[in-house]
Amino acid sequence: MAFLALQLLFRRLLLALPILLCVSALVFGILRLLPADPVAMSLPPGATAEDYEKLKQAFGLDRSLITQYGIWLGKLLSGDLGGSIFFRRPVSELVWVALPATLELVALSLFLGISVGVGGGLAMFALRGGLGEQALDGATTAMMAIPEFLWAILLILLVGVSLQWLPFIGRLGPGIQLPPTITGFLLIDSLLAGRFATFGSAFTHLLLPSIALAIGLAPLVMRVLRSSLLETAQDDYVTQARLRGISENRILVRHALPNAALPTISLIGVQGGFMFGGTVLVEMIFAYPGLGNLMVDAVRNHDLPVIQAVALIYCVLVLGINAVVDVAYLAVNPRLRLAGAR
Amino acid sequence: MRLSPRARAAWLRCLTDPRVVTGGLLILSIATLGLLAPWIAPHDPQEQDLLATLMPPAWAVGGEARFPFGTDTLGRCIASRLLYGARIALYVSVTAATGAMLLGTLLAILAAYFGGWVDWLISRAVDVWMAFPPVVLALILLVGMGAGVNKVILAIILIDWTRFCRVIRSEALVVMVRDYIAAARLAGFGHRQIMLKEMLPAMIPLVITMMSIEMGIAVIVEAIMSFVGLSVEPDVPAWGVMIADARQTMHQAPWGVILPVGAIFLTVLGFNLLGDGLRRALDARLVLSRAVATP
Amino acid sequence: MTLTARGLTVSATLGGKRIDVLRDLDFAIAPGKVLGLVGESGAGKSMIGRVLARSLPPGFSVTSGRLDFLRPDGESRDLVTVPGPELSRLLGDRIAFIPQEPLTALNPLMTIEAQFGEHLERLGLPASRRRARIVEALAEVRLPAPETLLERFPFQLSGGQCQRVLIAMAFASEPALVVADEPTTALDVSTQATIVQIMRRLQREHVTSLLFITHDLRLAARVCDDILVLYAGEVVERGPARAVSQAPRHPYTRALQAANPPLDGPLTRLVTLPDQMPGLAAFANLQGCRFAPRCPTRDAGCAASSPTLREVAPGHFVRCADACSVAAPAAPAVLRRLEAASSGVPVLVVENVAKRFAGKRDWLGRRSAGVDAVKSASLTVRPGEFVGVVGESGSGKSTLARLIMGLETPTGGRVLVDGQDVTQGGRETRAIRLGALQMVFQDPQSALNPRRPVERLVTQTMEAKGSNASEAQRLERARELLRETGLPPELIDRYPSQLSGGQKQRVNIARALCVTPRLLVADEIVSGLDVSVQAQILNLLLDLRAERGVGLVFISHDLAVVRYLCSRMIVMRHGLVVEEGETEAIFAAPKHAYTRALMAAAPPDDLDRPWPPDAAALAAAEG
Repeated sequence: MAFLALQLLFRRLLLALPILLCVSALVFGILRLLPADPVAMSLPPGATAEDYEKLKQAFGLDRSLITQYGIWLGKLLSGDLGGSIFFRRPVSELVWVALPATLELVALSLFLGISVGVGGGLAMFALRGGLGEQALDGATTAMMAIPEFLWAILLILLVGVSLQWLPFIGRLGPGIQLPPTITGFLLIDSLLAGRFATFGSAFTHLLLPSIALAIGLAPLVMRVLRSSLLETAQDDYVTQARLRGISENRILVRHALPNAALPTISLIGVQGGFMFGGTVLVEMIFAYPGLGNLMVDAVRNHDLPVIQAVALIYCVLVLGINAVVDVAYLAVNPRLRLAGAR
Repeated sequence: MRLSPRARAAWLRCLTDPRVVTGGLLILSIATLGLLAPWIAPHDPQEQDLLATLMPPAWAVGGEARFPFGTDTLGRCIASRLLYGARIALYVSVTAATGAMLLGTLLAILAAYFGGWVDWLISRAVDVWMAFPPVVLALILLVGMGAGVNKVILAIILIDWTRFCRVIRSEALVVMVRDYIAAARLAGFGHRQIMLKEMLPAMIPLVITMMSIEMGIAVIVEAIMSFVGLSVEPDVPAWGVMIADARQTMHQAPWGVILPVGAIFLTVLGFNLLGDGLRRALDARLVLSRAVATP
Repeated sequence: MTLTARGLTVSATLGGKRIDVLRDLDFAIAPGKVLGLVGESGAGKSMIGRVLARSLPPGFSVTSGRLDFLRPDGESRDLVTVPGPELSRLLGDRIAFIPQEPLTALNPLMTIEAQFGEHLERLGLPASRRRARIVEALAEVRLPAPETLLERFPFQLSGGQCQRVLIAMAFASEPALVVADEPTTALDVSTQATIVQIMRRLQREHVTSLLFITHDLRLAARVCDDILVLYAGEVVERGPARAVSQAPRHPYTRALQAANPPLDGPLTRLVTLPDQMPGLAAFANLQGCRFAPRCPTRDAGCAASSPTLREVAPGHFVRCADACSVAAPAAPAVLRRLEAASSGVPVLVVENVAKRFAGKRDWLGRRSAGVDAVKSASLTVRPGEFVGVVGESGSGKSTLARLIMGLETPTGGRVLVDGQDVTQGGRETRAIRLGALQMVFQDPQSALNPRRPVERLVTQTMEAKGSNASEAQRLERARELLRETGLPPELIDRYPSQLSGGQKQRVNIARALCVTPRLLVADEIVSGLDVSVQAQILNLLLDLRAERGVGLVFISHDLAVVRYLCSRMIVMRHGLVVEEGETEAIFAAPKHAYTRALMAAAPPDDLDRPWPPDAAALAAAEG
């Protein structure tokens, strides 16, 4: 089973490759419409025209677009993401530090969002027709009317500044040492090094940003799960199970929930991808050193190689999460798994 | 156009739905306030009073009646800036949502009607677009095109046509297999006639619903882009800019953040309530996941 | 008595008024007996099952009466008032259900073993013995190689197989009562015979009482010991199956019987009732006898007072003031089949057409196998001729219709209209077809754009490019078409949602007639209709031929209907034409084994002829 899942995941990822190629061309194409001149901006004051040409050559900006794309793509495939104009460091170095931070953030956010969403969805279904459902419905409506980045600011204001319960700047508290880098994931590295204080600090720093991101996901999961549960509750096989004297709890757990889970899983696939978009602003607001922060810095400084690379990595992450969710969908739905096996 | 009794009943349901009414009234009042801003705003939104910076709202201790919602770091009147900000927010939401709706619906109906390679091409384009988190695509589009509020509108259209395209294409596919489409073909209808007279009317409830939700999304995207400084000129008051400015001083003056957040909340809430109510009243089969997805 | 209903009344509140959806129902089923509940849609026949299952729609409730079930311990319990937990203990154990839609009645995400096992677990069978018990039960309903079915999911089985699994589950607890609500309606004719046979055998072996709910009087006569006929929520006739079906006393039962075209014997023009059964909302306006507005023998007294059930023969009850005095209606004239002109260019020639649908790729890039919907079919229709196309689901008959109409392009063979080749489609061929051929679609729900009023629907062709009809001309034509199809003129500005099923189908036909085609292609156009409405539509088609000489390709699964309408027929199976010829000749002596099996599977009118046929004959049809 696990082997089969991996095999499916691999096939699914292979199918995403052409999309990725189009995405890279799109990113490259859009950014070359750029009116601003990154070369001029990254020159020190008093530089000569000669310096300008040299730098332009160094960046490879003097050749034709297609050639530039070809060179960029070729380097990309060999793992070379180019050099940052602004940070004056290889982009891959920047990315390797930022990527685990973002992944940690997204993983925790997904966990929080899905568990609250599923719990809330079940609660809404259980309380259907009552005041409890209306209250939860109102809460989801309000939650959805405020985007993640504003939740981030409100959370800082309320929990960080007023109540001072949780830290809201960066990845670690001041004076706390970084553990030796093994995986790049702070939570894992600190545990591996046995530094529980570091772990605690890293975890509390993660909480507020991931709550802000989870607020974007949870109400959607709640609503979709609730409405699919209401729909499956009307389905023929649920009625039939009831007519066989099967208990209501068992009908919910064995019949209604697995069927209602299908739309919820696809929702998580789409929203999980969007969540990476949410990290951009949330990381910036919490000064959390992830990909999003890197992206915003790069955008502000017109740092083309970084923007290109980070945008592409975001797309890889989205496609990856879509593939995982598709395989999960497959695991639940035998109709797709056994297609053609009739 | 004559309305069928079904359509009439649907519109009646809309007008009596509490969500539609609440959402509609919210949007209507925000729009009115924005339109009347030059007459009702107590100050010019750019007028600085450096002797009265970071004033609290009039009802708080230290507040003054001439600045009902207080002032920002430069002593500008928050109430006036909020009123003028509504103009930007609604301008972007209406134009961007209309553009995205037109582009997305057109492509969706073409894809569903012609099928084959047309559908393949459009669907693959949607796949490529969906690989981008919307915010990331917006950022690189604005880096590419340069900042500005009209660029933001163009960016939203170029990003969010996929939202319409995906949802409306799947609904159009449902309509395509209805026999009345085949019957129209047998009646001698041309492609354009079938698409405009038989398919499009069936999409209207869905399009209206999604349009409303998309307007809320556009408000958010504009706020994000002005927050990171890629939207309006620095001297134009937009809610996102106000939040970004006030963020620096939110320890001392939290209302400078809270008030524009509240404005965004009410606007988006209005559009969402309207969309949610319309969806129920018009019985638009809408997969929540794709349409209500925030960027 | 296993189950006894006394004065059972189910009411709904609509617009503040109380409406009796089911009024004063009395019946009793003895152990080992079968009671048939017969009625058209809206008669209230499904309410009984819903009362038993406590799944009445919102706003509906039992307002009086009792439904007594005899428990195995000899105590009788009123199922209307029994507490929920006790009812739950009875359901699935003492009382079992067989559903109408077998494909949706099984959880799509659970294997057969998991679902059946869950049922056995609820019955208290230890886990170690469940598997063997399932295999045994599946073998009992004659599912071949039951072991191989255990790991299957419902979507991997056919409708007939799913229904057998559900029957096996229903009988697994040896219940005292089984309620089967239209258990064969969703299935093909040949599958229907098998299902009925299995149900009857198990019911006899286990001495189970069976409540058989159906719209089909002919089928009920075969399956049941007693029959109860419902009309607009009231029992109009109740008695032994043979008496009710062969010698009905109530005018409605008579009309039901007369509306069914016979499978053998001379053909007479079907006697039809006007209109159709009133909808729920109209029940409240019915004064006196609920059937009176449609009754051919009504008099002034009928509308004044509501008749009671009277016993006209031992055990035979009729709710009619003069059930005994009314003589059976005079036998109508024998139907004259208009023979087709043997000369002249055929309107339509179909030569060995084939259609292969390429497989689709799923999101993993796996390509499913292509489907040969039609392998090879030929057909010739002369002017004014009615040709039947008979086949079960999957025979390719609907694809054939779409190929004829040019809605699909054939992958082989030719289609000629008036001698001109229109196989490849395109602008000119569309013009040729438009004047000669029109199609009547199966499901008016899907075929009529809900946003168009009747006038814009029936004259839709006048809206097409190249037609310069004025609004006045359109209106005039619409009026003509309504008249021709027997629709009242005031319907002209109604929308489909305001029409009844029969009216919608007439609009559907009227639209096809707008360009005065010489040939109609009708795909299963009566299968969704109640028998009495079906008869009206069949007669309309005959009238259209007599008046306008229009020809017809009539696609249907129903042999009796094809026999009634068509002078020639073809029989299709798995995309191939297996038999063709004169209808009477085929009915008298079918040559192909499949045709024979198909005919054997339809219940004959003569109750003395044995049915269902033996298993071997059915297997030939199903295979």
